[in-house]
Parts: sequence; structure tokens; C-alpha cells
Amino acid sequence: MSNNGDNGNRVGECEPVLRIRNLRKTYMQGKIPVHALDDVSFDVKKGEFLSIVGPSGSGKSTLLSMIGLLDRPTEGSVFIDDVEITRAKESEAPRIRREKIGFVFQHFNLLSTLNAMENVDIAMRFTGVSKNRRKERAFELLTRVGLGDRVKHKPSELSGGQQQRVSIARALANNPAIILADEPTGAVDTKTREVIVELLKGLSEKGQTIIVVTHDMAVAEKTDRIITMRDGMIVSDMRGAGCEP
Amino acid sequence: MFDLIIRSMTQRKMRTGLTIFGIALGIFAVVVMGGMSEHMNLVVDKSLDLMADNIRIEPDGTFGGIGTLDESKVIQVKRVPGVSDAFGVLVTALDPEGGGGGFSTDMVFGVLPEKQLKDAKLTSGRYLMPGDGYKVVIGSSIARKFNLKVGDELELKSKRLQRTSSIINTRNVSVVGILEYTGSMFDSAVQMPLDSAQKFYKMENTVSFIYAKPATGADQSDLAKRIELSIDNVKSTSPEQLRKDIEGQLVIFSLITISAAVLAAVIGGLSVMNTMLMSVSERTKEFGLLKALGAERKTILLMTMGEAALMGVIGGITGIAAGSIIAYFLNKSFEAQGSALFAITPRLVIIGLLFATILGIVCGTYPAYRATKMSPMEALRYE
Repeated sequence: MSNNGDNGNRVGECEPVLRIRNLRKTYMQGKIPVHALDDVSFDVKKGEFLSIVGPSGSGKSTLLSMIGLLDRPTEGSVFIDDVEITRAKESEAPRIRREKIGFVFQHFNLLSTLNAMENVDIAMRFTGVSKNRRKERAFELLTRVGLGDRVKHKPSELSGGQQQRVSIARALANNPAIILADEPTGAVDTKTREVIVELLKGLSEKGQTIIVVTHDMAVAEKTDRIITMRDGMIVSDMRGAGCEP
Repeated sequence: MFDLIIRSMTQRKMRTGLTIFGIALGIFAVVVMGGMSEHMNLVVDKSLDLMADNIRIEPDGTFGGIGTLDESKVIQVKRVPGVSDAFGVLVTALDPEGGGGGFSTDMVFGVLPEKQLKDAKLTSGRYLMPGDGYKVVIGSSIARKFNLKVGDELELKSKRLQRTSSIINTRNVSVVGILEYTGSMFDSAVQMPLDSAQKFYKMENTVSFIYAKPATGADQSDLAKRIELSIDNVKSTSPEQLRKDIEGQLVIFSLITISAAVLAAVIGGLSVMNTMLMSVSERTKEFGLLKALGAERKTILLMTMGEAALMGVIGGITGIAAGSIIAYFLNKSFEAQGSALFAITPRLVIIGLLFATILGIVCGTYPAYRATKMSPMEALRYE
């Protein structure tokens, strides 16, 4: 399990945790090739809070699924902690996903039959962590996202914002190198959006690398860096204050 | 893992229940039909055991039924080298109006008192003795059916056809001994001295079978052939051959009954496959999520197949329990008439349970395979 350091300082955060080199993804639509990603390269440093924006079909979600090893590129490489994950065998993908990546989805994707605690616990089941340790960790994470008093509630008994917070706690469960959030505020109201963004920002300030894909510029503006994509290519990469390239 | 399987099953209670019911119904059929077949096997097995090493000689050309032989043939059989002893048995139905021979009906055996079956123990009374006349030793089923004790009288009937009408003779015989339960055809047998039986049934100097005891060291099959060659118009069967013949017939009976039951169980299995396919397609997103969270393919496979196997096991246990209860009560009701019909043996229970489990696993394999093949990317986009 990779420990990105929940130690409250930003020691070593300027090292690149993610390197993307000449990434291409081409789909065939009948006989016509569609370039979902076209020569995408960039680095993400440890503890960076990055957003990827762009119109629908610009390739941002495709990029996210390449980083999360949910899909394979046609060409190019993705390195996480200096390991080229794009070269990993299919059988190694689950281990890499559970050790290096935490996912946050637009529609939360919580299991409706499990309560908040169990939804966080399930992410740790595949890592061989003992039941007691999993329980402790799930409670600790839910408390951290402000749901310490909602641990026994099922998703149907939680608001959208609360469900997304459970999903963030789940993403943090295995101390991943990177959290990938696909439109994390897409299904919540404006007020909840602020809470979610602040929560993610707080985590990044404590050293967690977070990449957010969003349509919402109000969310993107809260991040350290904004990458804008169009037609599968990066058209701008704007950094705020923080690490220099 | 097990808790996730249970949750998934209890989440769709009605569907899970119906699927389990389908399997249970199939296994119920396997248990009941199999129980019938097992009972037949046991009866034949025990009957053959009790007949020991005797070679059976019957009139040539009788297939399954009971023919007649002249009693003088007993002497001829005795003279065949390798035969140490031979005796005739007269077999007839206890109730001549109730249908012919076979193992399941009540029979009267006319036997020489000194040759009677003594491997079966008595619960009360004594065995037949020379000069007993109209005295009988009865099997446990007969005793129960007619509620007889030692000293009671049993009415025998004989039927003779004369031109177009039949004459029924009756006579009371007294019970001198009751055999304990053997699980063989002798439970439904009335044994009486051969001469009295021949006299009452008007079959003087006639027997149905001759049993020949091979001398020590004699090869039973060779001896059976030698008897057949030495005596005209008889067919002789060694115990080994007799066992083979009967088992051959029983295999066919078992095949027919078990096939029907297996068919029912396979239909139950298809309902598992249907349920699991529906469940997998409904849980596309869940499996995608589990994969995104780092679940291995084998974990997903185990979850899906585990669910199918568990439904099989529960269905199997339910089916076996229901089958056993029904068999128990049917046996109870048949016992009042003197005979059981089903034998739920440990072997049958194990086969039923294994069959249900394997059926669940096999029918869960394809849905499980589909679940593991699901791309997390596609699954998570699925709404």
C-alpha cells in the first residue's frame, strides 16, 4: 500500500507522483479512427490539486480512465510513483488500482445494500487488511469527512453530499497515491459543491494528490492547476501558486 | 465475502426464494424417485443374500413369472455331479384375486420344513417343523398387515379355473412363528410346509423352483450349466447370474426413475442460471465498482459462483428434507398395508446434496464468467 503521507505537511510534495508521456487513445467508429487522446503529456506532483476541464468529448474522462487503469492507451505511458502502469499485465491491474488509485464518481457508486461504514470497508477487503483494522480505519475516515455520526446509515438515508463524502472516504481507504474524481460535484447542489471541494482541498493540503475532472469552472478555480483539453489534446495548463515546473 | 453473498441473496428475496424452490423441487424428485429405486435395490440385495449360494432351477421359457416343474426333477437335480443337495419350493400369490407374482406382492412359499430359511431370525414363535401340516411362519410385513400374532389364524385362498367360472377355496392356517424385519421379499412371505401347500393349492407333485446347493468347491456357473444340460426343459441360474439379471433389470428401472428426476433438477438448475444472469446484469455497476476498487477477477467469480452454489445447497437441503418427510409419511401409510416403498439412504442424501451443489455451480459458471469479463469502465458508465 502506498502511503502518500497524511502527516499534515507538504514534505516531498514537489516530486512528480504521476508522469504521462505521449498518451494516445484511438477508437474505431466503424472504419473511421477517432482520436480520444492525442499526444498528451504532463506531470503531476505529490500533493497537487489538479483539475482537468474541457467540453464533452474533449477526452478528459478517457484520460482519467487511462490513469486509473480502467482502460488501456493505444500508445504512450503512464507512470505512477515511477512505475509504468501502462505496461502492467491485466492480472496486475487490480493490485495497482487498489494500491495506487482512489476513485470518486459523479454518481457516488455506493453499494445500496451496505451502510456507510461497510461501503468504506469494502475498498479494504481486497487488500488483506484485518477486519478490526478495516473497521477502525473506516470509522476514522468517515469521522474525517464529517460523517462520524452517520456510519450505520445506508446510502438511501444519506443526502447527495453525504454520499459523496462516503465515496471520498472510500477513495482514501487504502492511502492511494492519487485520487481520481470524475465530476465529483456533478450530482450535488451548489452548497454541497462547496463542501465537497473544500474537503478535497483540505486533503490535498495534507499531501494527497487529487485530480478532478469537471465541467464546472467554479470547482476548477479552487484547484492549484487547471488543464484544459479539447479534441483529445491539452490546450492550456495553468498553474496557481505552489510548485513550479 | 460470505456476508456479501448473503446480502445479495436477501436483497432479492422473492427471486432467490423462487430459484431455491425450483432446485428444491428437482432434488425432491431425485430423492423420492431415487428413494424408490434404493428401496428396490435393498430388497433385491437382501433377498439374494438370504437365498445364499443356491442355484435356481425353473421351467425353461418362464420370463419373470412363475412356472411349474414336476417334483421328480428334484431327484434328477440331486443326481447331477457337484450338487450336494436340492429341494423344491412352491410359490404362489397369497391373494389369488389380487394379481400375480413379483417381489412386491404377498406370496406363499411351500417349503420343506428342514430346508426353510433360517438366516432370518424370529421375533416370536418357532420355525416350521416336519409334520406341521397347516401351520405357517410369516414375514414381518404380513404380521403387521393382517395384525397377526403367534397362535392367530390366517385365511389362505386358492383359485381354480373350471370352464368359465373359478372356484375359490379357503382355509385357515395357524401362525407358529413370525420372522423379524429383513428388508427382503421374505417380509411379505408366508412359509408353509411344501406338502400342505401342494395339497391346498391342488398342485401335488409340483414345485415352482428347485434350489440346488453346490458341493464345496464346485463352480456355481459351471454347475448351473451342467444342470441345464442334464435335465430337459429347465433353465438354471447361478446366484451370480441371478444377481446380474436382477440388477440389470433394476438398472433400467433406476435409469428411468432417476432420469425423470434429474430432468426436473436440471430445469431447477436452469432457473439458477436465469436468476444469476439477471442478477449479474442488474449488478453491472456493482461489479464494475468492485473491479475499480481493486477486486480480482477470481473474487468476482467466487462471489457469483458462491451465490449460485449456495442457492444449490439450500435448494438441495430443502429438497432432501421435503423428500425425506414425504417418503417417511408415505412409508408410514404403506407400512399399515405391510410394505415400505422408499429408502432414503445416506448415499442418496449425499448424491442429492452434491448434485444440487454441482448444479448450482455449473449453472452459475456462465453468469459468473460474464461478471468477471465486465469492463469497469463500461460498468461505471452504466446507469
